[in-house]
Amino acid sequence: MHLTSLVAWIRRRAENVVALLLGVMFLAFIAQIIFRYVFNWPVGWSSELSVIAWLYMVLLGSAFWLKEGEEIRFDLVADALGPRARRVVAGVVAVAAVVLFGLSLPATVKYVSFMKVESSSYLKIRLDILYGIYVLFVVAVIVRYAYAAWCALRGDEVADEVDITKKGYGL
Amino acid sequence: MNLTSPFAMAILAIVALSLLGLPVGHAMIGGSILYLFFSGQDMGIAAEQLLNGMYTSYLLLAIPLFVLAAEFMNTGSIMDRLLRFCNAIVGRFRGGLAQVNVVQSIIFASMSGSALADAAGSGKLMQTLMTKDGKYPPAYAAALTSVSSIIGPIMPPSIPLVLYALVSNTSVGYLFLGGVVPALLLGAVQMALIAFTARKRNFPVEAKVPLKDLPRVTREALPALLMPVILLGCLYSGVTTPTEAAAVAAAYALLVSAVLYRSVSMRDVYGALRESSRITVSIGMLIAGALVFNYVITVENIPRTLSTMMQGYQMSPLGFLLAVNLLLLVLGCFLEGTTIILVILPVLLPTAKALGIDPVHFGVVAVMNIMLGLVTPPYGLLLFMMTKIADVPLRDIVREVMPFLWVMIAALATITLFPGLVLFLPRLMGYTG
Repeated sequence: MHLTSLVAWIRRRAENVVALLLGVMFLAFIAQIIFRYVFNWPVGWSSELSVIAWLYMVLLGSAFWLKEGEEIRFDLVADALGPRARRVVAGVVAVAAVVLFGLSLPATVKYVSFMKVESSSYLKIRLDILYGIYVLFVVAVIVRYAYAAWCALRGDEVADEVDITKKGYGL
Repeated sequence: MNLTSPFAMAILAIVALSLLGLPVGHAMIGGSILYLFFSGQDMGIAAEQLLNGMYTSYLLLAIPLFVLAAEFMNTGSIMDRLLRFCNAIVGRFRGGLAQVNVVQSIIFASMSGSALADAAGSGKLMQTLMTKDGKYPPAYAAALTSVSSIIGPIMPPSIPLVLYALVSNTSVGYLFLGGVVPALLLGAVQMALIAFTARKRNFPVEAKVPLKDLPRVTREALPALLMPVILLGCLYSGVTTPTEAAAVAAAYALLVSAVLYRSVSMRDVYGALRESSRITVSIGMLIAGALVFNYVITVENIPRTLSTMMQGYQMSPLGFLLAVNLLLLVLGCFLEGTTIILVILPVLLPTAKALGIDPVHFGVVAVMNIMLGLVTPPYGLLLFMMTKIADVPLRDIVREVMPFLWVMIAALATITLFPGLVLFLPRLMGYTG
């Protein structure tokens, strides 16, 4: 399979998973309220499930789904530059991201694998497995920015036009 | 401050990287890693802060669920019915459609926590309605849609206030109540300005909806109008936690769209989940970055240092609040609002508390201020969005926004000077601050 179509495929599947996780979170909450009021039986697993869904949504979504332009970012400066300067800036930023996240990778792996001593309270999932998603996130960030740096070096414009209504925002 | 200290280098890296276009959340994680590296600490701390922080902040789950509720409301025909209802009430005045725009925003605000969701959801519709047959200048319509949508995040439910609750350990319920009066005040000054301009510029009047039709129009919009009542009812009766209230709101919105208005397909549900997820991921990543960076700020003892310094200046509470307002208005021109709430406000809070400023008042003032930043040139996110949606040059929108900006700054000054306006409702419900 060609690289770009593989990336597009990963992106679509990540979108499915993240949307599904939100659905799970929503249903878990509804179940929690029903169990408490209808069956008079407070449950703890539902809130744990929702929190796990939230953690995975954010890290999976950011690593494999969202384009850079869909994250919350400041694009005023980069947009004002000419194509050449923009390429240089994109390259510098990408290299910095690779170096910084790469620097933290060994310590990250060490922390996450150390967490095997603990398990989650209700679902009894070992925390090193649960937290492993962050290692995956860091690796994805490194790979994505390494690729972006390579593109900047080769002179390919990383076509990442994003619809303004899809740009990242919190307000 | 020593420029080669690990802290200074971290700040420098974060500012530089985010200015150059790295997503702000990533930049904060990266800068914090740099800090850990140079101060010789374990770099695994970044992972620990992020994971434990995200894993334990149960309150934040309200954000995706509130967004989901608004998305469910946006699918289906709820918006049309709301607009017809607003038109029946205020359409009959001069500049009627402009008034409808504001009233619609106030009502939608009580279902959604996001200004950009309001502008993106109903912005296009309002823009088309207002500019049809040359009724209103396109730039005026676009400016109005931008300014009316900032009522959204001040009126409960509110994403910025949930974020503030997280960093300030203040009750979400009281913060939400505190936002009600300021949101209505914003709506009121906008409507007053419209009434004034409408006469001067001779804006059109909409065809009067006969009074006998009013009950029918109201009945059709009623399920949507009930949403805020249900939401606030769940929240203040103590039946559910704030996060659960958000889930109830989403379930209710889905139910209304699907059962009563019969206009929702599985595809729509997936679409709503996907769009809510997109917003959740981008806010979530910023929160993740802020969690890591706030560790650095805490270790460096920045908030305490600032508090001691400010007390040295013998600043009065009012003086401090006004200074904070000025600072935020300036920062809001450059920084994205979520970042300000998550990073700048925690630094200022200890000083505010030491000066005896109420944290609920402080939060509502700060959030309202940050919302004004969304429509303040040069970096007003909403203005950019409306230039694209309405296809009007930014310059023209800015010109039409300015009068609104001045009256809204006057409204901000009013709630800064009179804490009672914010605290009246929370106190009525038992807030003792």
